[in-house]
Amino acid sequence: MTPCAVTTGFFTLGKCGQMAVAGCPACGRAVCADHLADGGMCPECAAARRQFGHPAAAAAARRRAYRHRQAQYYGDAGYYSGFDDYDRAAFEPGAAAHQDYLDDGDDALVDS
Amino acid sequence: MFWRKQKAAIAGFHPLHQALIFERGFAATHPAAEWSALAASLHRHAGLIRRSKWALPHRAIDVFLPLLAAVCEDLGPKGVLAVTADLRGIHVPAKSHPARDIPVRPPARSATETWSIDPWLRLHAGLRDGSGLDILVVDRQRLRRVTKRGSSGKTKIKRKTQLTQLIRVRRRLPRGVAGARPQVPPPAWIGVTLRDGERRSVLAAAKLPRLPQSADEQVDRILTVATETFRWTR
Repeated sequence: MTPCAVTTGFFTLGKCGQMAVAGCPACGRAVCADHLADGGMCPECAAARRQFGHPAAAAAARRRAYRHRQAQYYGDAGYYSGFDDYDRAAFEPGAAAHQDYLDDGDDALVDS
Repeated sequence: MFWRKQKAAIAGFHPLHQALIFERGFAATHPAAEWSALAASLHRHAGLIRRSKWALPHRAIDVFLPLLAAVCEDLGPKGVLAVTADLRGIHVPAKSHPARDIPVRPPARSATETWSIDPWLRLHAGLRDGSGLDILVVDRQRLRRVTKRGSSGKTKIKRKTQLTQLIRVRRRLPRGVAGARPQVPPPAWIGVTLRDGERRSVLAAAKLPRLPQSADEQVDRILTVATETFRWTR
């Protein structure tokens, strides 16, 4: 199975990882059915061509613009544009996210 | 019957959309798919509803929706997002503390101070990387009302308001993740605190001396504070 190589997330970046059904005609990356944007392109290529019909393309454009702006603001060009090891590891097979949503603990931001 | 078509349109909106129209707020916990349905419903509002009484709070479209989209992108398939939005504004009586007298000196004869606290947005999300994200945005207004009497005996009442905004974000790191100090420090207007415990927490807080002047600036400020907590797990 070829996994979908589309970048997802806003705060934590990762790869989609679902089964790919096509390749992006612009960049060649594998794309799953959920991420096939206008013209069969991946969301990033569609966003670069200002084709925001697919929600993932709009999300890609939003993420790219925000990170570019933040990299300039912080003067740290590499940090916001690149993936980090931690974020990547969260999407490794078997490293499922642990959702302990209800565990607020003593240092909760808001009393509940 | 008046407004028949618009009433029918509202009846077809998402329940949380209806709550925003009639109650100016809601509290709900849903997975990403349900929040997407709310976003789709909110996007239909402008085309169907023209009556000003049923207009959405301005922060619902310009601020809440972009934040919702950003946070929902990081929700895993089992992740949920809890939102408490109170968009009634800071001038609701229930949000004001009782006025208290403050000391004065001539020519002022009396002065009172009233604080209004408006926690208009709270988010709690269980993210797909195993961390928990809390976002709290609070507007805070100080109103001072001073009564003065001039030499001619004329009495004047002066009011002065000071409006600030607090943005606090907490990210509880996944178990076993220690985090690390980023090479580039945060900007001076964001304070960051690490709190140890069973799971380490990164708290970022900012106090804005004036409210953001546009919705884009508001979203940007909130996202910048939120993103700061993610720089500590490089």
